[in-house]
Amino acid sequence: MDRSDYGSFVSIFNPVDNTVDDSESVEWELGHRRDTTNEEYRQKYRAIYEQGSPCETVYRVKTTDGQPPHITTMVPVRNEAGEVTAILCMQRPIREIDDARRPYLRKVVLATVLLAIVSSVFAAVFIRKQFVKPIRKVSDEATRFARENTKGENLGEISRYEELSRLAGSIDTMEKDMVNYIANLTAATAEKERIASELSLASTIQENSIPNDFPAFPQRKEFDFFASMEPARDVGGDFYNFFLVDEDHLALVIGDVSGKGIPAALFMMVTNILISDRTRMGGGPAEILRFVNDNLCEHNKAEMFVTVWLGILEISTGKLTAANGGHEYPALRRAEGVFELVRDKHGLVLGAMDGVLCKEYELQLKPGDRLFVYTDGVPEATAADNGMFGKERMLAALNESPDGSPDQILRNVRRAVDDFVQGAEQFDDLTMLCLKYKGKGENQ
Amino acid sequence: MKITKKQNASSLEIALEGRLDTTTAPELERAMKESLDGVSELTMDFEKLEYISSAGLRVLLSAQKKMSRQGGMKLVHVGEIIMEVFEVTGFTDILTIE
Repeated sequence: MDRSDYGSFVSIFNPVDNTVDDSESVEWELGHRRDTTNEEYRQKYRAIYEQGSPCETVYRVKTTDGQPPHITTMVPVRNEAGEVTAILCMQRPIREIDDARRPYLRKVVLATVLLAIVSSVFAAVFIRKQFVKPIRKVSDEATRFARENTKGENLGEISRYEELSRLAGSIDTMEKDMVNYIANLTAATAEKERIASELSLASTIQENSIPNDFPAFPQRKEFDFFASMEPARDVGGDFYNFFLVDEDHLALVIGDVSGKGIPAALFMMVTNILISDRTRMGGGPAEILRFVNDNLCEHNKAEMFVTVWLGILEISTGKLTAANGGHEYPALRRAEGVFELVRDKHGLVLGAMDGVLCKEYELQLKPGDRLFVYTDGVPEATAADNGMFGKERMLAALNESPDGSPDQILRNVRRAVDDFVQGAEQFDDLTMLCLKYKGKGENQ
Repeated sequence: MKITKKQNASSLEIALEGRLDTTTAPELERAMKESLDGVSELTMDFEKLEYISSAGLRVLLSAQKKMSRQGGMKLVHVGEIIMEVFEVTGFTDILTIE
C-alpha cells in the first residue's frame, strides 16, 4: 500500500473461484499492482491504517473497471508489534446477496399486498357498517319523510359516532316538529275555512235581515225609496230598515254600531230587531228609542253603542216624526231646491247610558221632497292620503241631480265616494237610504 | 296618536295628539286602564286631537262612566271638528266640556 496517499497498492494474492459464485471476476497475478480507483476505497484504507478501524466495507454497484457489482470487506493484517502491515480484502458479488434477498423480498411484497387488500376490505366493511349504512339510513328516512310527511321510526342511536347520532337525532326532532307543524297548520287552515264559511253564512243572514228588494212597495204610489248597505268586511255594524207600521205609517230606520266586524254585526242584529218589534207595537220615535236604549244598556258588558235615526212617515199627510239617537244629520231636499243638512235635535247614542231621553221632532214633507239619511261611512270615506270625503262633497253629489230617483241619487253619491277614495280600501261600512215623498195622487 | 300623561296627586291630565280611531283607541283604553285607579279628577286635553271615531267615543264613554263613580272627568280645548262629533252623537249631553 502506498501509504502517502493510498493511491496504489500491490495485491499479494487474489484467488477467484468463478464456479462457486458464478461471477465474471478476473483473477490477478501475484504481485499485481493497482491504482486505487475510488476515493471511497482511499478513505477506508486510511481508516484501517491510521485510525485503527477493525473493519470497513465498501459497496460498489457501479464499477469503472468492468467488474460486476460487488461488496468488499476489509480487515487489517497486523505484525507482532500490532502495526497494520497489510489489508485482507474479501469480495462477494452483490448479485449473490440480491439472490439471497429476492425470496425474502418477494415474501415481504406479497405479505404487504395481501395485508393491504385485507385491510382495505376490512376498512371498506368497517366504513360501510359504521358510516355509509347509518348515513344511508338517515338519507332514506329523509326521502321517505319528504314523500309521506309522517313520523317514521326513531333513528335514535344509529351509530356510536357522536356526529352521526347527532345527525340522526336532528332528523328525528325535525320530523317530530314538522309533523306537529303540519298538524297545526292543517287544523288552523280547517279552522280558518270553517270561520270563513261561517262568516259567509253570517253575511248572507245579515244581508237578508234587512229588506233589499226594490221597489219595496210597488203598489204604494205615495212614496218611493231606495237603500243600500255595504259592509267594509263580511259583516258590518251598519243597518237600515223600513216597514209599514200600518196602512198609513211607514217606518224608516238607519243605524251604525260602534266598531266593525262580528261584534258590531251581533249588536246590530239585536238593535234592529228591538227597533222593528217595538215600532210595530206603536208609539212615537222617542218612546221607541228610549225603550231600545234601556234594553241595550241592560245587557251591554262590551260597552258598545249604536247611533240610530228613526222616522215614521204619516203617508197621507207627509208628516214625518223622527228621533235621532246620536246619528248623522239627515239631508233634506225641498221640491225645486237643493239638498241641505237638517240640524235636527240630537239625543245620545243608544246603549251608552240608560234612562236617557230622546228628543222627537217633526218635518212636514211636501210632494217632491226627498230625504237622504246615511251612516258616517259616507262623509268619512277616506282616501289613501287620509283625506275625508266630507259632508260638503256628499251634498254636492246629492245635488248632481236632485230630481233623480232615490236609486239614481244613491248611485251618484256612491260614484262620488269611489272617485274620491281612488281605490283605497273601504274602511267603514257604508249605508244610505233615500226617500222621495210623492203625496196623494202626485207623480213627481 | 300620541298620548301624554301628567299626574299630579289624584288629578290626571291626558293630552291626545293625532287621530283617535279604531287603530289607536285600544292604545288609549290601555293607558286609561293603567292610570285611572285612585284618580278623582281626570282632564282630557283635546287641543291637538284631529279626529275621533266611534271606537274613540267608546273609550271616552267608559272613562266617563268610571270617573263619574270616583270623581269627575272634563274635556278641555275641544276643537270644532271634534265638537261637531260630540254634538251629533249626543255626547255633549253626558260629557263635561269646558
